[in-house]
Amino acid sequence: MTSRSISYVLAAGALLALTALAFAVGRYPVSLSEIVSLLASKITGSANTLPANVETVVMQVRGPRVLAALVVGAALAAAGTAYQGMFRNPLVSPDILGVSTGAALGAVLAIFFSQGILVIQLFAFTGGLAAVGLVYWIGSRLRGHDPLLALVLTGVVIGTLLGSVIALLKYLADPYNQLPAITYWLLGSLAAIAPRDLGAAAPLALAGLAPMLLLRWRMNLLALPDDEARALGVDTRKLRTLIVAAATLMTAAAVAVSGIIGWVGLLIPHAARLLVGPDFGRLLPLAMLLGAAFLLGVDTLCRTLATIEIPPGVLTALIGTPFFLWLFALARRSW
Amino acid sequence: MSRFFVLTLLTFLGKACFAQSAVVDASGREIRPPAKVERVYAAGPPASLLVFAIAPDKLTGWTRAMRPNEAEFFPERYANLPELGRLTGRGNTANVEVVLNAKTDLIVDVGSTGPTLASLASQVQEQTRIPYGLFDGRIESTPAALRALGRLMGNTAEAEKLAAWYENELAQVKQRVARASVHPSVYYGRSASGLQTGGKGSINVEALEVLGARNAAAEARAGLVTVSFEQVLLWNPEVILTTDPNFWKSAWTDPRWRAVSAVEQKRVYLSPHLPFGWFDFPPGANRLLGLWWAGKLLYPQTFDVDLRARVTEFHRLFYHREPTAAQLDALLGEPGVLPK
Amino acid sequence: MLQVQDLAFGFPGHTVGREVSFSLAAGEAMCVLGPNGGGKTTLFRTILGLLEPHGGSIALDGVPLASLSRSEVARRIGYVPQGHSAYFAFTVLDFVLMGRTAHLGVFSVPGRKDRELAVRVLESLGIGHLSHRPVTQISGGERQLALVARALAQEPGLLVLDEPTASLDFGNQVRVLEKILALAAGGISILFATHDPDHAFLASQRVLLLAEGRALEVGAPTEVIRPDSLQRLYGVSVEVLSLAGGRHTCLPALR
Repeated sequence: MTSRSISYVLAAGALLALTALAFAVGRYPVSLSEIVSLLASKITGSANTLPANVETVVMQVRGPRVLAALVVGAALAAAGTAYQGMFRNPLVSPDILGVSTGAALGAVLAIFFSQGILVIQLFAFTGGLAAVGLVYWIGSRLRGHDPLLALVLTGVVIGTLLGSVIALLKYLADPYNQLPAITYWLLGSLAAIAPRDLGAAAPLALAGLAPMLLLRWRMNLLALPDDEARALGVDTRKLRTLIVAAATLMTAAAVAVSGIIGWVGLLIPHAARLLVGPDFGRLLPLAMLLGAAFLLGVDTLCRTLATIEIPPGVLTALIGTPFFLWLFALARRSW
Repeated sequence: MSRFFVLTLLTFLGKACFAQSAVVDASGREIRPPAKVERVYAAGPPASLLVFAIAPDKLTGWTRAMRPNEAEFFPERYANLPELGRLTGRGNTANVEVVLNAKTDLIVDVGSTGPTLASLASQVQEQTRIPYGLFDGRIESTPAALRALGRLMGNTAEAEKLAAWYENELAQVKQRVARASVHPSVYYGRSASGLQTGGKGSINVEALEVLGARNAAAEARAGLVTVSFEQVLLWNPEVILTTDPNFWKSAWTDPRWRAVSAVEQKRVYLSPHLPFGWFDFPPGANRLLGLWWAGKLLYPQTFDVDLRARVTEFHRLFYHREPTAAQLDALLGEPGVLPK
Repeated sequence: MLQVQDLAFGFPGHTVGREVSFSLAAGEAMCVLGPNGGGKTTLFRTILGLLEPHGGSIALDGVPLASLSRSEVARRIGYVPQGHSAYFAFTVLDFVLMGRTAHLGVFSVPGRKDRELAVRVLESLGIGHLSHRPVTQISGGERQLALVARALAQEPGLLVLDEPTASLDFGNQVRVLEKILALAAGGISILFATHDPDHAFLASQRVLLLAEGRALEVGAPTEVIRPDSLQRLYGVSVEVLSLAGGRHTCLPALR
């Protein structure tokens, strides 16, 4: 029991420290005292004498970006945790049913037709939802098979199909103008996060989180074979549909504003499970804390290491994999 | 003895008749075109532009079919040339059989001339037995490329005329730049977010470098890069140029961009893009127009030029059709192209 | 407790068994005896409501099974499956607590009372000392007992066990059979499947012989288990021996 509490405390502490650090660093030099006085003036509603750029950097650029990293990291980790429990497989990522590929297709289509950011995000969001909807609709019509296997196979097939359409679009795209834009979107980035993006993504992620939190005990039963879970009183089909919808909503919202950032949804639930075990009610909050902290740390590096931006997906893999191996070596419990 | 002499003479003469003299292209490869070059396949848009300018009847087709808003700038019989696809390094869409089918005498490409593309060109040349010449696509190398291309195609006179004119234009640009006392810092923003830009030496900002402008993103590495808002705010450019109309629109309303000096000073401009873009892409001779346009925006005192006249002249020489007044109005009147 | 009338059962599109009828009173233990592939598991899954019946009726205390929701069924019938491969390392206590789900609201989490009940059940099965061990790190026999504990945590009136002694060592087999008797004595109806006729003699008051989906016979063990019925069931010759104290056992007559 105590080791579990320690994990929460440490994770929460790390998160707070990272958030403070993230606000304090950046390419545009802003001193800690400036940040403090700015935030103080915002809270008390009084005027401040700081240069306009400082306010822009902290409130319009860095602030939303830091918060977005937290939201996206937590959302991806939560979705990954739900999927790993539901598919009884610790090697599952939120993209197993194709939400990222669907979102990518939506975004690539929008870029192909030279649309603005808002349309690109909208297409990405609906693309992600539509892809999973399609997979779920087809998968649940395949009778006579283990329902999970049907879903996974359909997800792989549809994901490959959508991936090939993306490849075709990349091929047809104007190599000077659209192709670089497509490539950069697929690499993922939080560089362009605006307060408006946060205002859209956060409520959607919360909407997806709510059912997961409310049903956290029943989620545990999804880890049992279908027969057993049903015999214990759970309508597995309804529960799965609801959780898939919730996890997809969270992931689609995250991918729409940040592009595709891999590894968070796969590694973080793992790490959290190694620390506190598989009980969903204990696992979910820790996974979200760790996911938020991890992505925030990575994104802070992405925007401060060099003049140019580094794609976060590269760093999540570079940092995440050795970190995870270390954790796995240390842990006494299995997953 | 005399028979031997006559035979040798005849052989030399024969060789001279059936082969053109070899031309060394920009990648250092020797190109031997046939005696008469009637049909030239241009492997990418910058090449299409030059071949079309020199001898439009010899161009076998465009790499991409013209859209109606592009076609209206060209004489109709040329606008409808077939679509043959690209054979250039960045993403080929051409079918080599199609190229052969078009009875090509010569393949040319204008752009980068490094070893990778040179080996690609040699490979295609071996495959098809059609001479494949590469030429340097940099703005300042355009006159040389025109001359070399003219020699290869057997149109030295037309090419010389264009090359001399282009040289003169470049010299005029340089003179005006030299007279300018204030060189503002310029940020070139691409993509809908405006956060993609070109670092020092990147082909995307070549026009800026010819203009002696201070690229705000000069400290970034060469090539296309993404930067963060904070970085742009730190650079605080005085002028922003872009090729993306979505970004141009959002720069005025987005509170983050409003903090940038260029937006405050209302010096955010959108490059025209018809029929070939004026700035950045395609990276060909079309960027001369971008030099005049950006020069006027960056150095308004020294670049007191009649942009319409310059555009008309360029179109007449390179697109073989003068734009109508209405077309000029549309080109220059699009929101963001010129200061109000 | 349980009334099965003329039941036809099987998979969608494929009927495995028909005309099965029997009833089970409270505190009665019934053994379903039959060869592999005879339909025991399919029959049980149908009784649990996991498969749709193809005909006939199933009723729990007079209430048709079809009219009950999953939760309601789970409050009345506990299921102990045959073997269990553990995917995740839940503690034995959490594992048993899953049995309490049917008694919880949709958004609820097990509370103190649930926890206390789970601990009591574990101790009554002699595995209370394992409550904080992950299920992945206990032996097969202990896991089987944990499965029984989970089913008991549902506080069911009927316990359905599918081959509960398969893959257990002799000692554990005996313990499980003892538990079945004790539970029946405590008033819970038991329905368990086995392929070993001796288990029927040891732990049940009624036996149902199931072969090729058909109920060959239903009755007391001594009436139903005879050399000729076993010959029909398994196709081998078996002697049924009477022992002191009114007990019986089966001995295969090897050729």
